[in-house]
Amino acid sequence: MKFFKKFSLVTVASAVLLTSALAGAASAKDDLKGKITINGSTALLPMTLQAAKEFQKLHPKVKIAASGKGSVTGPQAVKKGIAEIGACDWDASKDVPGFKAFDGQVANKVAVIPFATIVNKSVKVDNLTTEQLKGIYSGKITNWKDVGGSDEDIVVITRSFGSGTRVNYQIKALDGGDIVKKEKNYKEVGSSGDMKTAVATTPNSIGYIDLTYITGSDIKAVKHNGVEATTANVINGKYKIWSYGYYMTKGQPTGATKEFIEYVQSKKFQESSLKKLKFIPIAAMK
Amino acid sequence: MNTPVQESAAPMEKSYSKMTYTHLSKRQSRASFINKLFKNYFLFSILTLCFVLGLVIFFIGKTAFLTFKDVTPAEFFLSFDWTPEDGKFGAALFILNTLSLTALTLVIAVPISVGMAVLIAEIAPKWMKNLIRPILDLLVGIPSIVYGYLGLTILLPLLRELSGESLGDGLLAASLVLTIMILPTICRISDDAIGAVPKKYKEAAYALGSTRLQTIFRVILPSAGRGIIAAIIMGMTRAIGETMAVVMVIGNTPQLAKSLFTSTSVLTSNIVMQISNVEFDSTWNYALHMMAFLLLVISFILILFIRFLGRKGGAES
Repeated sequence: MKFFKKFSLVTVASAVLLTSALAGAASAKDDLKGKITINGSTALLPMTLQAAKEFQKLHPKVKIAASGKGSVTGPQAVKKGIAEIGACDWDASKDVPGFKAFDGQVANKVAVIPFATIVNKSVKVDNLTTEQLKGIYSGKITNWKDVGGSDEDIVVITRSFGSGTRVNYQIKALDGGDIVKKEKNYKEVGSSGDMKTAVATTPNSIGYIDLTYITGSDIKAVKHNGVEATTANVINGKYKIWSYGYYMTKGQPTGATKEFIEYVQSKKFQESSLKKLKFIPIAAMK
Repeated sequence: MNTPVQESAAPMEKSYSKMTYTHLSKRQSRASFINKLFKNYFLFSILTLCFVLGLVIFFIGKTAFLTFKDVTPAEFFLSFDWTPEDGKFGAALFILNTLSLTALTLVIAVPISVGMAVLIAEIAPKWMKNLIRPILDLLVGIPSIVYGYLGLTILLPLLRELSGESLGDGLLAASLVLTIMILPTICRISDDAIGAVPKKYKEAAYALGSTRLQTIFRVILPSAGRGIIAAIIMGMTRAIGETMAVVMVIGNTPQLAKSLFTSTSVLTSNIVMQISNVEFDSTWNYALHMMAFLLLVISFILILFIRFLGRKGGAES
C-alpha cells in the first residue's frame, strides 16, 4: 500500500508540474477543460498513456489519469461512474463468452491490437500450430520435446479470468480451446506487465501478450502456424491473433472526452505514435 | 474529570492568597473549559475511529452475506471447487491454504526468531545487542512489496535450482518470504518479553547451580511464555493478512496445495487477483467480499486471543 501511495503521489506531483509548465507555454485561447479518467485494459495502456501525453500538450487544461488492470474493469468503472473512458479489448456493448453486455455504453474503436505467443529465451521452439497450442494450454502437452524443443517441462503462464488478452487469445489462437489449470507448472498473473516479468524470469515458460510489450532479450515471440507476429502480417490478413481495442463510454462521449477519443482516432495519432508502439491503425483493416 | 484540576488549583490558592475571588473563578472556569474541550475532542476521535471500523464491518458484511442468496453456506465452506466462471464457489481450498501457509510459516519462523530473541536478550555481548536491535527494527518497517520482489527475483530461481522444479511458485516459496517478513516482528517482541523476566528468577536459578542452558529453558522461556505467544500471534496476523508479497510468489491458481510446489492461492491473493476482474453485482463479487469478511473475522479472533493472554499474564506477575 505504502508503495502505491508514494507512487501515486509522485505521479500526481509530476502531472501537476507538467501541466503547469505546459500551461505557460500554450496559447491562451485554448479553452478545452476537463478531467478524463481512463481505466481498464493493460494491453491498451501504453497507447493510452502516449495519447494522453500528446493530448495534454495540446490542451493543457485537460487532466488525464490513466491506469490499467483487466479489460473488464474498463466498462465496469464506466458503469459505476468512476471513469469516463473504459479501455477494453472487446466490444463490451455486446455479449462475449463469459461477460454480459454493458447496457447503455458506446464502443469507440481506437486501435488494432496484435497479440503474440511468447516464450522465455531458453526455449528453442520458434513456431507453434493452433493444435500444439491447444495441447499445451489444455495440459495434454507438457514437455517441449513434443513440439520440437528440448526435453524440458513446459511452464504455462496465463492471465487470470477477466483479461481481454486472455479472451482474445482463447478465441483466436486456441480456436476457442480452454485454458485448463494444472497442479504443476502453471501460474496466473494479473496484468500484461506481470506476464512479461513472469515469462522473462521463468525458464521454459510460455505465455501471451500484445506486441507492444515484446522488448528486450529475455522473451521472444513465437510464429503462429508458420506466420510471424508482425503488424504487416496482421494487415495482410495472414496473422489471425489480433483484436480491436475499444474505448467504452457511457452514451455518446461529450466535451473533453469526445475530443480525446477523436484525437486518438485522428490520422495524425494513428499513423505516427500508435504505429511506433506496434499497434495498427484502424483504417488499415478492411 | 474535574478532580485533578481542583487538586492543582489548591496550592495555587495558597500562593496567590491575596488574589480576589473573581480572578480565581475565572482561572478555574477557563481550566475546566479547556478540560472539557479536550475531553470532547478525545471522545470525538475515538468515536470517529469506531464509526469507521463499524462502517468497514457493515459494508463488507452487507455485501458478503449476499453470497448466500445463490450459494449455500455448505458449498462455500466445504467445497474445494472454485470455478466462478461456471458458478462454482467453493472457498474451502482458500481457507485451508491460508491455514496451511500460516502454519508452515510459523513452523519455520518461530524456532528461528525465538532462538534469535534468546541470543539477543541473554547471550550476546552488549555491542552485538546494540547492533542487532536497530537492524531488526528497520526490517519490521520494510514494505512487503520489497520482500515479494526479492522473493520473485532471488528466492524463486534459487528454489528452482535446489528442487529441480520448473516453476518454483507455491506454498514453500510463499512461506519462506513470509518467514523473512515476520521474523523481526516475533524476534523483537519476544526479546522484550524475555527482558521483562525479573532478574531474581535468573539469579535464583544460577544460585541453585543451573547451567545457562537450564536457566534459559527451565526458567526464562517459561516465565516469558505469554509474551512470546503474544509475539507469535502478532507475527501470525501479519502472515495471514499479507497480500502483495504472497501474490508474487504463490502462483495464483485456485486449487488445493497438494505439495510444497503446487501453484496455489490463498484468501488474500485470490481477492487481490480477482476483485477488479469481476462484475459488481455478481455472486462472484459477493463471494470475494465474503472471503474478505472471513479474514476480518480470523484477525479479530486472534486479537481477542492476544488481549485475553495479556490480561492473564498481567494478573500473574
